[in-house]
Amino acid sequence: MTQPDTAARTIRGGRAALGLAGLAVLLIVVEVLPRSGLVSADFLPPTSRIVAALGAEAATDAFWLAVRDTLTAWAIGLAIAVAAGIAVGIVIGAVPVLRALTASTVEFLRPIPSVALLPLAVLLYGSDLGSTLLLVVYAAFWQVLVQVLYGVADVDPVAEETARSFRFTAWARIRHVLWPSALPFVFTGVRLAASVALVLAVTTELVIGAPGLGAVIAVAQSSNAIPTMYALIVVTGLLGVTINLAARVAERRLLSWHQSVRGEAPA
Amino acid sequence: MRRFIAAMAALALVAAGAACGSSGDGGTTTAGGVAKVKVGIIPIVDVAPIYLGQQKGFFKTRDIELTMESGQGGAAIVPAVVSGQFQFGFSNITSLLIAQTKNVPIKVVANGVASTGVAGKDFGGVVVRKDSPITKPAELAGKKVAVNTLKNIGDTVVRESVRKAGGDPSAINFVEMPFANMPAAVDNGQVDAAFVVEPALSTVTAAGGRVVAWCYVDPAPNLTVAAYFASTKLIADDPDLVKRFTEAMNESLAYADTHPDEVRGVLASYTKIPATVRDALTLPKWPTEINKASVETLAKLGAQDGIFGTATPDLAKILP
Repeated sequence: MTQPDTAARTIRGGRAALGLAGLAVLLIVVEVLPRSGLVSADFLPPTSRIVAALGAEAATDAFWLAVRDTLTAWAIGLAIAVAAGIAVGIVIGAVPVLRALTASTVEFLRPIPSVALLPLAVLLYGSDLGSTLLLVVYAAFWQVLVQVLYGVADVDPVAEETARSFRFTAWARIRHVLWPSALPFVFTGVRLAASVALVLAVTTELVIGAPGLGAVIAVAQSSNAIPTMYALIVVTGLLGVTINLAARVAERRLLSWHQSVRGEAPA
Repeated sequence: MRRFIAAMAALALVAAGAACGSSGDGGTTTAGGVAKVKVGIIPIVDVAPIYLGQQKGFFKTRDIELTMESGQGGAAIVPAVVSGQFQFGFSNITSLLIAQTKNVPIKVVANGVASTGVAGKDFGGVVVRKDSPITKPAELAGKKVAVNTLKNIGDTVVRESVRKAGGDPSAINFVEMPFANMPAAVDNGQVDAAFVVEPALSTVTAAGGRVVAWCYVDPAPNLTVAAYFASTKLIADDPDLVKRFTEAMNESLAYADTHPDEVRGVLASYTKIPATVRDALTLPKWPTEINKASVETLAKLGAQDGIFGTATPDLAKILP
């Protein structure tokens, strides 16, 4: 068991090093491009100026308040979407009639871009947290719901039949057969939803000025504070990376018993 | 896993509670005699007096607790004021006139911002790149000019500058783009010229760009550019609050007009304008009186350009 484990770790370490090297190249390109005069430094400041602006921002309370606002909207929105997506997904998925009944509606509502609901959000909640939540929940909900539906459909029919023949109650079948088998799908849904929720949180703030990082980016933009604007955009990227990493780690930890994750290690 | 689900459910409940709490409480909530007031603004130089007045306590002494809401530009502020989400709003005069011709129930309660009236020293103008062949307003005819909103104050005043200079205003090719994008668009030649206001104006001139037309100076002396307004419903329901707001606003305007250094200081609190630009930019004027003659001029120009459709704005209904 030790040998494949170290091998996997070496591969993972190598990949991380390559990833960091790629990032370093990007940073250097952004530093060199404006300095070489290929693009105007007024509109694409070199990395060093962006980093300096980031440092100046990080020293202010307003910046951390904005980060907190964005993460609050993200977390609350994601929690609602995940709870609703799981509940609705299991109910619809477990009852074939419901599934048939809702299939067309889900397929109609799902592709509506959340951003198209912006006017509706402004009408209902103005430029408050409510607007951000509406958009975040709408976008993230479908990610979870669809994955849960796949997960429920993927239950091993033999296990399901066995549970039935042992006269498991409906709840017991959900709890002991359906849920554990759908769980990897649920986690995929949560991971996708986590990224989408961040995108929508920042978008809403940017467009309608709901409190958060997006609103600060808009202010930086209208102030022609270009390096600050880039610095704040970098922050949203860093948040995205952090959220994705955290979701992957959580998935690996919580599903360590599951075949889909156990199977990953030796590969 | 069970604990995870329980935590998720608890979070969802809290969130649902928070979402309900934040909705629909747009009205004026009076707690202990202090009115909580939301003002819809655009975070630009023009609204510095209201921030300065808030800092100086001009609103607090009149039992008004201000919250500034920066929405998606002027267009979104009017509906939010009408629906009661905001008590007051900031908008340019032409937008207010357009709203009036559509019978939107709003009325001006205080002056907003005015041109300095001095060509060469104003806060808005048409800029071109330093190597541009354009040197006079009349030469803008046939050129591509960026304005932040089409069929609004920007294209109206640019046409007037060209008209007064003897050019053909109907030959200008206007394109719409946010103020913030204009310096880059002028620099890389996407547009021949752009009607910009501060801080974009200073950004362009600092990069070597030139101002070819002072469009807030040309139409009328001391042009009133924007104003604060309220819904007619609020004016009827709570005249005392409106009166207090107007007084506080007037005090703020007068203070800002006589304390330019403090204005530059307050800009740092709600914008991210770089310090060098902040110290150099041209501040507008903040008189307390609305220049009615200039509003009439804007109404006349708008009608001439057909931005009100077939309607004619009724100034008595929109101005105090």
